[in-house]
Amino acid sequence: MNNSLLVVLIASGVAYGTPLLFAALGELLAERSGVLNLGVEGMMLVGAVMGFWTVERVHAGTAVTLVLALAIAAVAGTVMAAIHAFLVITLRANQIVSGLALTIFAGAAGLSSYLGNDLNLADQPASKTFHAFLPSGMQDIPVIGPILFGQNALVYVSWLCVIAVGLYLSRTRPGLNVRAVGESPAAADTMGINVTAYRYAHTLAGGAFAGVAGATVTLAITPQWVDGITGGAGWIAIALVIFAFWRPELCLVGAYFFGALQALAPQLQARNISLGPTTLWTNSLPYVMTILVLVVVSSGTARRRLGAPSALGTAYVREEH
Amino acid sequence: MRRRKLALATLLLTIGAIALVFAGASSGHTKASSPYKVAFIYVGPHNDGGWSQAHEAGRLYVQKMLGGKVATTYKENIAVGTQFAQTVQSLVAQGTKLIFATSYGYLNKAFVAKYPNVLFEQATGTDVSKNLSEYFGAAEDTVFLSGMAAGAASQTGKIGYVVAFPIPEVIRHANAFALGAQVTHPGATVQLVWTNSWFDPAKEKKAAQSLHAAGADVIGQNVDSPAAGQFSESAGVPWVGYDSDAAKFAPKSWLTASVYNWGPYYLKRVKAAMADTWKSGFYYGTINDGFTKLAPYGPGVSAKTKAAIAAMQKKIENGSFYEFAGPLYDQKGKLRVAKGAKMQVLKGGTNSLYGMNWLVKGVIGSPKG
Amino acid sequence: MRISVEQRLKRPRWLAVAVPVCSVVFAFLVAAIVLLATGHNPVSTYRKLFDAAFLQQGSLDQTLIAATPLAFTGLAAAAAFRMKLYNIGAEGQMYMGAITGAAAGLYLGGRGGPSAFVIAAMVVAGCVGGTVWALIPGILRAFFKTNEILTSLLLNYVAGYLLTYLIFESASYWRQTKGFNASVFPTGKPLPHSAVWPGFTIHAQGGITFPLGAGLAVLTAIVLWTLYKRTRFGFEAQVLGDSPRAARYAGVRMRRKILAVMALSGAIAGLGGASQDGDFRHTLDGDPNGLQKQGFGYTGIVVAALGRYNPFAVVLIAFLIGGLENAGNTLQGPSFPAGLVGVIQGIILFSALGGEILTRHRIRVARRRPKIATPAPAQSPEPAA
Repeated sequence: MNNSLLVVLIASGVAYGTPLLFAALGELLAERSGVLNLGVEGMMLVGAVMGFWTVERVHAGTAVTLVLALAIAAVAGTVMAAIHAFLVITLRANQIVSGLALTIFAGAAGLSSYLGNDLNLADQPASKTFHAFLPSGMQDIPVIGPILFGQNALVYVSWLCVIAVGLYLSRTRPGLNVRAVGESPAAADTMGINVTAYRYAHTLAGGAFAGVAGATVTLAITPQWVDGITGGAGWIAIALVIFAFWRPELCLVGAYFFGALQALAPQLQARNISLGPTTLWTNSLPYVMTILVLVVVSSGTARRRLGAPSALGTAYVREEH
Repeated sequence: MRRRKLALATLLLTIGAIALVFAGASSGHTKASSPYKVAFIYVGPHNDGGWSQAHEAGRLYVQKMLGGKVATTYKENIAVGTQFAQTVQSLVAQGTKLIFATSYGYLNKAFVAKYPNVLFEQATGTDVSKNLSEYFGAAEDTVFLSGMAAGAASQTGKIGYVVAFPIPEVIRHANAFALGAQVTHPGATVQLVWTNSWFDPAKEKKAAQSLHAAGADVIGQNVDSPAAGQFSESAGVPWVGYDSDAAKFAPKSWLTASVYNWGPYYLKRVKAAMADTWKSGFYYGTINDGFTKLAPYGPGVSAKTKAAIAAMQKKIENGSFYEFAGPLYDQKGKLRVAKGAKMQVLKGGTNSLYGMNWLVKGVIGSPKG
Repeated sequence: MRISVEQRLKRPRWLAVAVPVCSVVFAFLVAAIVLLATGHNPVSTYRKLFDAAFLQQGSLDQTLIAATPLAFTGLAAAAAFRMKLYNIGAEGQMYMGAITGAAAGLYLGGRGGPSAFVIAAMVVAGCVGGTVWALIPGILRAFFKTNEILTSLLLNYVAGYLLTYLIFESASYWRQTKGFNASVFPTGKPLPHSAVWPGFTIHAQGGITFPLGAGLAVLTAIVLWTLYKRTRFGFEAQVLGDSPRAARYAGVRMRRKILAVMALSGAIAGLGGASQDGDFRHTLDGDPNGLQKQGFGYTGIVVAALGRYNPFAVVLIAFLIGGLENAGNTLQGPSFPAGLVGVIQGIILFSALGGEILTRHRIRVARRRPKIATPAPAQSPEPAA
């Protein structure tokens, strides 16, 4: 029962979707304030390498080391985000190009690769990892066992983050303010909201989440370090934010959906079920599905009801007196 | 106006400074230096824990054995095509005399003809010319032996095998693995999952996970990262690796692996090149000349299995046994290699090692990917 | 003391050159600090860099080879980005152009046509392949308002899988099936001799060879510049980029423009793909470790941004970045990690981006003046930033 295709797919979707979820939550916060950050992949990789470095070099108890690794990964991501934030908020550079520059700078052929090399992090397993920890009795419960209880701590943390971000955006004053900043920075400015500060804060927060997302990959999913180990997850996360109408709870659905799609091809192969003439289909499926969903989500009616922050991607310039 | 003049002056000063830096930039002649320059070109990172790292180990071996007489270097992450061409051109301009290209597709006869005074060697390729030599080896022999370990460790006889691309090299390794498993576990089946990548930890883990969920109780691989092993460790199933000794990634699950030992071949060729006795050819290393060997066993290999493998290895070494000798049946049960016939490396079309495009009986999955 | 950023009233022309140049200089200074911090000598590194890119024997040829695809993808990006259509799909459009271009070359060359005709057909086919692929995000954007950044990006992955499939996983038209080599490892059919693009050698400096693709790229730049500066099409595209609302009031047909610009952008990228087949690879390269590993499409975006979407600047910058990439290959090795090259590229890009603000704004340091109550400013339209 627990090894049936459906259960395994959903459980895999949750596990593999977690880095996507963290990264999407972070990008959601940045975009809510009006800043588009295409450098997610680069930030994830730097977080991944620094988180990995921490567990390899710090010799303390497992829990302490892992928490410290997450913290350092978050800081690493934040530092990367700060570059982008400074360029696009203060210097008003083009947000698209700046984000791409960040991916080149920090990505698989850049800073993260350099750090991995310089700190001698290759060819070794993570000395401590996040893995399933709930009692096997719980994990063996039919269906919900593997899906809900067979996951590692980061998955549960991500659920808390979804709730927290959701509450933040809908119930707190700063959360409502940031939505105003993203919709109409001029109006928010006249209301006395410090647009610059909000944009900085949320872009940096986006970096922190991306860093943790990267650490999820090197500390939970594939606990080793190789150049580019996130494999393009950052781009999927950006798509997920749109997929989710900029709402945290839908980020979760989208992340798990995409995670499951990515696990689909090998699962079908292992059971000799063929979904088409060749692996070309199954490899392309996650991307094609995402495009289709984006089309549906962006089309007229949907867009009018719950749309993108109107000021997304544009620099805010206060009118000079 | 003043500010503009200031800016202009700064600009000119900067340009002047740059010019100074480059004054004396060489026109590309390197002074004749005594160490013999050898370069290795890798398609992936030099420390990938797999294919490229094994070559790097060979390079370091050469450097250690020959010391100051040779200057070795490597280039990593070099794409097939124009990037490779430019890398070679700059290496040659720096005085490199011998280049090892460690992936198929890098070199061909037309390319090496442009550099008649430089010696080239390619791994896993087929073109041979005056200054182009090919090298690879019979990893299938040791993959066969590692398959024996997998078969012995399996309770159910269902083994999973993670593979990259449906090409003869991979297919013959998968076949060798299955044949080995069937020696220690008659009737064992090997289920394939294709990742379409030589090195992709995430895909390989997913492949291993799916094989396990579909019932495999031993995982093997013909891909380059240890991710499948890390999964096997967490799932508590035995694991056979590939390319390198990756026991540290899965201390309890690790059984063994077929590993390449490129060092002795590299040393031989570098020495020959330096002594001007280098001749091009097609080298196919064997278990006898130390080209491939088995990595040290993990805790899960029983003494009985070790003895069986050792005995079989002796038989392969002295030629009294060959895993690709008939009778060999394909997946549909058709006889492909008659009893007593031995498959050759190059001759025999689809019944040659280099042309094999069919899977043996007991392997489940499509040879087309 | 108060530092304020004010918008310039007019943009002096010399600034358009000075700022990028100074940005690059600044970038190299920052990179020098990075190099020092990582234990490398900046001066000798830069010298080696320059040598490897331009001065060594054969370097110029190699730089032209590296620059040609970047010029195409850079022009493709510039064509679209100028209109604020962020076509990130040049990578995939290049693959598709390579596929269609190779098909034309294989088919027509195989039937024995004259070389000029075959090559012209490859050029057209390459453009068509890229255009079709670019029209997918174009249509989705024009008619369904779907963000083109993500659709074009995701299609890059699909195009990559298709390219690999054609050579590695199927016995397609493009795949070589004859001969022993072909059975050992998947390769594409070699292009017939008439489909190989010529190079033009200038006998100076030991002989510099200009691939046909390089010439086509320069031609494309001229066409693009003329299109955008001298035709109504270009003018409308510019207006649309600067202010969609103004464009709509002026009667510009949004959807048609979006499709046209995406088609143009895709065609240029596709031509770059055909150039890869005809100029350099002489076959369709479906190896995942080949064309797909080079990332020309993404680097092209960087090139376009550095060139501020001016076609001639883009071609020049493609040449420089091509040289930088080659220099990176030459520099890397056991003592110079490959990651440093990406770091330096990123620093250059950041500096160029950051410097851009100086063209539109000036930084003024002024002494704090006493506050005078000013009447509320009259509603005046803000000039577009």
